[in-house]
Amino acid sequence: MFLEWIKKQGKLFYEIWPLIPAAAYLIGFLIIIGIYLINLSLTFANAGIIYYPTLKTFYDVFSNPKFLHALISTTIFVVIGTPLELIAGLFLALILYKSFIFRNFIRSIFLIPLAIPALVTATLLFILFDFPGGHINHLLMGKYPLFPQLIQEALNWRASEFLALGISMIGKIWRDMPISMLILLAGLNSIDPELFDSAKTMGAGIRQRIIYIILPLIIPSISAVVLLRSIEMWKEFIFPFVLAGKYNLLSTLIESFYNDWGNSYAASVVALIMVFCIIITAYLFILLMEYFKKRILRS
Amino acid sequence: MNIYSVKDKLKKLIWVGSIVFALALILLPLYLLIKYSISDASSINTGGAPIPLWPYHPTLKCYKYLFSDTQFYNVLSNSLIIALLTVIISMILGVPAAYVLGKYKLPGRHLLILGLISVRLFPDIASVIPIAEFFIKLRLHNTYTSIVLAHSLLALPYVIFIGMSAFESIPLDLEQQARVMGAKGFTIFFRVLFPLAMPGLAAAAIYTFLLSWDEFIFAYFLLGLGKITTLTLFLKQKLAYSPPQNLLATISVILSVPVIIFSLLLQKYMAAGITTGSVK
Amino acid sequence: MAQVILKEISKKFGLIQVLSNVNLEINSGEFVSLLGPSGCGKTTLLRMIAGLETIDSGELLIDGKRYNDIPAQNRKIAMVFQSYALFPHMTVSKNIRFGLKINKTPEDEIKKKVEWAIELFGLKGLENRLPKEISGGQRQRVALARALVLNPKVLLLDEPLSNLDAALREMAMEELKRIHRQVGKTIIYVTHNQVEALSMSERIAVINQGKIEQYDTPRTIYDFPKTVFTASFVGSPVMNFFDGIISSCQDEIGIQTDFVFIKLDAERMEKLKSFKNKKVKVGIRPQNISYAEHHESKRASDTMIQVSIELLETQGDRSLVVSKTSSNIILRFMVSRDINIKSGEMVDVFLDGRRIHLFDPSTNINIFY
Repeated sequence: MFLEWIKKQGKLFYEIWPLIPAAAYLIGFLIIIGIYLINLSLTFANAGIIYYPTLKTFYDVFSNPKFLHALISTTIFVVIGTPLELIAGLFLALILYKSFIFRNFIRSIFLIPLAIPALVTATLLFILFDFPGGHINHLLMGKYPLFPQLIQEALNWRASEFLALGISMIGKIWRDMPISMLILLAGLNSIDPELFDSAKTMGAGIRQRIIYIILPLIIPSISAVVLLRSIEMWKEFIFPFVLAGKYNLLSTLIESFYNDWGNSYAASVVALIMVFCIIITAYLFILLMEYFKKRILRS
Repeated sequence: MNIYSVKDKLKKLIWVGSIVFALALILLPLYLLIKYSISDASSINTGGAPIPLWPYHPTLKCYKYLFSDTQFYNVLSNSLIIALLTVIISMILGVPAAYVLGKYKLPGRHLLILGLISVRLFPDIASVIPIAEFFIKLRLHNTYTSIVLAHSLLALPYVIFIGMSAFESIPLDLEQQARVMGAKGFTIFFRVLFPLAMPGLAAAAIYTFLLSWDEFIFAYFLLGLGKITTLTLFLKQKLAYSPPQNLLATISVILSVPVIIFSLLLQKYMAAGITTGSVK
Repeated sequence: MAQVILKEISKKFGLIQVLSNVNLEINSGEFVSLLGPSGCGKTTLLRMIAGLETIDSGELLIDGKRYNDIPAQNRKIAMVFQSYALFPHMTVSKNIRFGLKINKTPEDEIKKKVEWAIELFGLKGLENRLPKEISGGQRQRVALARALVLNPKVLLLDEPLSNLDAALREMAMEELKRIHRQVGKTIIYVTHNQVEALSMSERIAVINQGKIEQYDTPRTIYDFPKTVFTASFVGSPVMNFFDGIISSCQDEIGIQTDFVFIKLDAERMEKLKSFKNKKVKVGIRPQNISYAEHHESKRASDTMIQVSIELLETQGDRSLVVSKTSSNIILRFMVSRDINIKSGEMVDVFLDGRRIHLFDPSTNINIFY
């Protein structure tokens, strides 16, 4: 019996041994990340004395007004940014869905923002939203033909929290909207075209076809987009770092604690909190979906 | 004519308008980036006058400046070396793993895959802290080793995932045929399977290269205070010191070059790959 | 109920001329079938009436009004699709009330109409089921209910029975006829199945490659096919065809073929005189060739020939016999199961002269039409 078991394990080993280095590498790092994050967050240093394990760092971070502010800012960032990215992706997806000529060409163009390195996009926005010059300021001040004047004086985009985080959001959305588009497009393509014909013959105009056929049938895709993209919004670092450095989101707060304050312990705490927020978001979302599913099915 | 043709024309107008708007939304910023990279100083510091949509005196000055700077070459070669090393390590680790996962229906396969991908579920900014501390402990901070290992960590799940489907799509008969003809394990792998999975593996390699070349967060934390500078780091450093915008744009364009080259190559390759894949 | 008129309708898809100069008049309350093989253009024609395809040239008139440019949603024409196209995310009752809701019908009216439809189609108890939870036959009835509840001017059906098995199909055909009698709407029915067309329609338009071959009652189409295509497409098993020349033989006029001289019925023999020496294509249905058990039962218009039996196919209470004439022309005919004949035998059969069809080989049109 035992011998057979050994033989079986040996055969298994013979089959899967190429897998082991990669698995060890990945799982090893996973463990390192986990252990270090927990250990660091439970460490507190003051005047050269190191306390471990302790919840002092947690307390330190929670009572730091910067943290609360960053948490609220990030929550707003997620709550506003995700629907906006959904709408942008839906807009692109609808265009692609209904185009028949040049479809592949237009599709390649729509995918471009994803291909550009995030840092490049952030730099581009840095240039465009410059103060006091910059294309955007000049555009809004009506200095170009065919565009009305919307503001009197140039805006200092990076000097106001609202504006700086706003343009970070714009950059992130611009860059990632192809992903939403692809997911929504897959959902749109799965709708039987005859449903539209059928609805037309029953008197449904385009608005009604969108409301009663398209939207309900792409709810799974919309859910996927909202879930995935909201998680990405929590994690976003590069855009706020380049464009809104002073106004911390959780991600830039981590950087600030680590580099500016040399406090890797506080940074780890914030990192853990970010992971926690992501998990909560995902969980809440799944609960919400279950609730909606029940409601829709019953009615 | 009648009300219906008016509505029709309106619909068409909105439709065309939307396409134009979407294309402009995507292409205009790119155009502006390129424009800035060839702008002269007077086209940037206009002192109140609207910035021109085409520079007054387009010039390649910035490019010349960068390419005549030995430090820049250093930076470029650093990014290149790190990316290539990352590709090598990721492929060495990932391709065999992809092969095993693609070929054998192991029990708990899905769980295993989930586990391997799970490292990517952590936010980059969250996992960079422990990894940085880890490398500091090993005294590997500010070395090529640390950054290559980190980038490989990021790329490995993708290599495995993409490689897996590349191997899966090879019909089983081919392998069995080779075995019948007397070939042994390694021979089969190298001379039969590997070439067939090549398009998929090439895609994985390209993806890895780009991932490393474009990567910023880990480079910043692992190399930021040291002597090794990657192109992304270089750009960030310039951003911190109120730099001339044309210089920023030029560096950005150079940073984007590999992506453009590979996308064009990939488009051609993809078209070919799709047909060979569908022969199955 | 509405009268539908198609005048000189043509349509191209790219370089392919799908329909050319189609003319059709469908009377109010009539049940008309568009019958033809796949790709003949019948579905395109139907979709043009519905407004789902544009009309290149020609006019579509419904109750005298020109409908070419009116978009589909404004036409008050209901259509049932081959795949039923039920909204998968809506229950049966929601599917049925969809059109009424879109047209802002008051709620109590909707309730009444939906109840009526559910009664009529025997869908009681299924109101809260989703399409994926009901059978194919039930889905088809929901599709019909959904269309009829809107009180459309015209009801269009695109091969609605092709997804049903034979037994269900027969039931569905009976039901459709019953509903047509009860509701009295103009129905245009597209199918490639001639049994459906023959049994349900008041008139059939046989379509081939974008042109209408014949537009008549089922009886006429079966008994007096206008073209070779109609003759071969309608009627099962397929009609037998062979060549001949109209000539005289011993003072009688008939058709001279390789293997026999065929006589027709007296009425038509007179007409044949004006076609002397004309080459013709002869057609005769297997049902009109009978096994000559007793040579006395021959009618005056029958022609007797001897054939050798190649094989027999049992089809229930009758068998299809595939035989060869002396000139190696294949003739198929039917025998009842009581007849005991075997493959390889030489037997005598009667060709019924009253049911012989003659076509001009260059135009493929029935010379008597």
